[in-house]
Amino acid sequence: MRILAVMENTFKETIRNRILLNILVFAIGLILLSLVIGDWSLGEQSKVIKDFGLSAMSIFGLLIAVFIGIRLMVQELEGRTIYIIASKPVHRWEIVTGKYLGLALTLAVNVLLMTAALLAAGWLMEGTIDTALLPAVLLIYIEILLIVAFSLFFSSFSSPVLSAIFTLTVFISGHLSGYLHDFVKLYEDRGFHWLLKLIYYVVPNLEKLNIKLAVVEHLKTGPHAVVLGAVYGLSYVLLLLIFTSLIFEKKDLK
Amino acid sequence: MKQHALEISNLRKMYKGELGEKDVLGLDDLTLTIPRGEVFAFIGPNGAGKTTTIKLLMRLMFPTSGSVMILGESNASRRAMRKIGFLPEQPRMYEYLTGREFLDFTGRLFSLGKEERLKRSDLLLKRVGLGERGNALIRSYSRGMMQRLGLAQALMNEPEIVILDEPMASLDPVGRKDFRDTILQLKAQGKTIFFSSHILSDAEMIADRVGILKEGRLQRVADLEALTDLGTSAVEVTFRLDQEKQGRIGDSWQKVAVQGGQVMIRLPDRKQLSRLLSDVQSWEGEIISVVPVRQSLEDIFMAELGR
Ligand SMILES: Nc1ncnc2c1ncn2[C@@H]1O[C@H](COP(=O)(O)OP(=O)(O)O)[C@@H](O)[C@H]1O
Ligand SMILES: [Mg+2]
Repeated sequence: MRILAVMENTFKETIRNRILLNILVFAIGLILLSLVIGDWSLGEQSKVIKDFGLSAMSIFGLLIAVFIGIRLMVQELEGRTIYIIASKPVHRWEIVTGKYLGLALTLAVNVLLMTAALLAAGWLMEGTIDTALLPAVLLIYIEILLIVAFSLFFSSFSSPVLSAIFTLTVFISGHLSGYLHDFVKLYEDRGFHWLLKLIYYVVPNLEKLNIKLAVVEHLKTGPHAVVLGAVYGLSYVLLLLIFTSLIFEKKDLK
Repeated sequence: MKQHALEISNLRKMYKGELGEKDVLGLDDLTLTIPRGEVFAFIGPNGAGKTTTIKLLMRLMFPTSGSVMILGESNASRRAMRKIGFLPEQPRMYEYLTGREFLDFTGRLFSLGKEERLKRSDLLLKRVGLGERGNALIRSYSRGMMQRLGLAQALMNEPEIVILDEPMASLDPVGRKDFRDTILQLKAQGKTIFFSSHILSDAEMIADRVGILKEGRLQRVADLEALTDLGTSAVEVTFRLDQEKQGRIGDSWQKVAVQGGQVMIRLPDRKQLSRLLSDVQSWEGEIISVVPVRQSLEDIFMAELGR
C-alpha cells in the first residue's frame, strides 16, 4: 500500500536522524538525572521524580515533534525529493497521511523509550513499577501527535521559521486556554478582543490532555478523562490532516 | 483508436508574484502534440520555460489555463500517471536510503509487488550502470550517479512515456553516451520520450523532432527527419575545369566559388543534378564531388533564438 510505503520511509528517515537521537538521549539522561534531584528533596522523592520525568517527557516530546515535523516538510519540499514522489500515481493526501503516520510511529518509539526510563527511575527509587503513570503518558503522546499535526499543517503553507512560531504559539496558548477564557471576558471592549476569542475557540485546550499532577498524586482520574482526552485530541488531529491534505492537494510544487 | 502520447493544449502558466513583486510568465499558450513512439526534444536556453512545461505535464504545478492529455486521458488521472516515467531536473533522492532502497520505494508508489520490485531494481541498476553502487547510500553519490539513479527510478514502472527534464545536464561524456543508448533502446521498444535540454547537440543525435522554446513561447517545431532527408536537400557540386574553359559555364548556373581550376556550384534543388552533370561533361570538366547540403539544426536554432 502506498500510504504504508510513505509511512515506512518517513519512519526510516526520522530514526536515521542523528539530531533526533541526541535530543532523545538527552531527555532520557535528564529523566535518570532526576534520581539525583529526588535524593535531595526529602520525603517526596518519588513524586518529584515522576512529576519531573513526565514534564521532561512532554517538553522533549514537544521539541522533537516540532523539530521533526517541520524539518521533514522542509526537506521534502526544498530538498526537491517531492518532485519524484508527487509525480507518481499517488494522491497527495496519501503522501500527507503516510508522512504523518511515519512521524507518529517515530514519536511513539520516542515516548516508549522515555517512559521506560521514567519507570526504571521510579523502580530504582521505590522498587515497584508505577503503572498509574501510563494514562498520563498516553495523553502526553496524544498531545505530541496533535502538536506534530499542527506543525505539518503550518508547514504546508508557511516558511519553516513561521511554522515553528505558529506551532509553539498553539502549544502555549493551548495550555493557557483556561486563562484565555478569562481574558476574553476581561477585554470584551478592546480591539484585540476578536483575536483572543479566535485563539480561544480554534486552539485546542491542551490542559484536557494534562493529567500529570493527578497521576503523580494518585488521584482518581478514571478511564473517562483519559478516553475523552484521547478522543478530543485525535479529532483535532484528523481535522488538521484533512486541512493539510486539502492545502497540499492544490499546492504548486514550484 | 489512435491516441497521442501527449496532447498539450493552450497551456499557460503565470507565476504569481509574492507581495509587491510582478507576475512572471512561465509558459505562454503552448499547443503541442506528441505522437506515440516519438523522441521529442524540447530545447531552449535557461529560463525558456522547459521546466515549467514539464511540471505542468506532471501535475506538480497547475496551469493558469490550458490542458494536458496523456494517452487520451487527463493528466489528473492516476491511471495516466501510471504510464509515465519522470526524471526531474537535477533529481534529489532520499540520501539516507541506498539506491536500491530508493528504487524499491518508488516501485511501491507504483503499487508494484515485491518480486517485481526486486527484479526491476536489479535490472535497472545494471542498465544505468550503477550495479554494485546500488547498495551504497545515496548520500555518497556524485551528481552523475544521482542522474543515473534518477533515470532508473523513472523506468521502474516500465512506462509508455518517459519525460525527462535536462537528463544530460550533469553527465560526463561516458554518461551522455550511455544515456543516448538507453533512449534509443527505449525508442526501439516503442516508448515515447519527451526530454528537455539547453544544449542543441543533445537533441541532434537522438530526437525525431525538436521544439524550440524561448521566453515561454514555442518558436518552432522542426522535424529532424525532414531536415536530414537527402531527397529534398540542396546539393553542392564541385568539379575541375581549366580556367580558359570556365567561360563555357555562362550564366546558366550559379557559381558559388571558383578557385583556380576548381568550380563549385550549388543546386537549390537536386532535380537539376543530372542536367548539371551532363553540362559539366560537355564542358570537358571533371567531377570532384557531389555533396548534399542540409540546413543544420543549428542554423534553425540560431535563427529562432537570434531573433
Ligand atoms: N517558482 C517560480 N516563481 C517565479 N517564476 C518562476 C519560477 N520558476 C520559474 N520561473 C520563471 O519562469 C520562466 C521559465 O522558467 P523555467 O521553466 O524554469 O525555465 P527552463 O527550465 O527552461 O530553464 C523563467 O522566467 C523563470 O524565471
Ligand atoms: Mg529547467
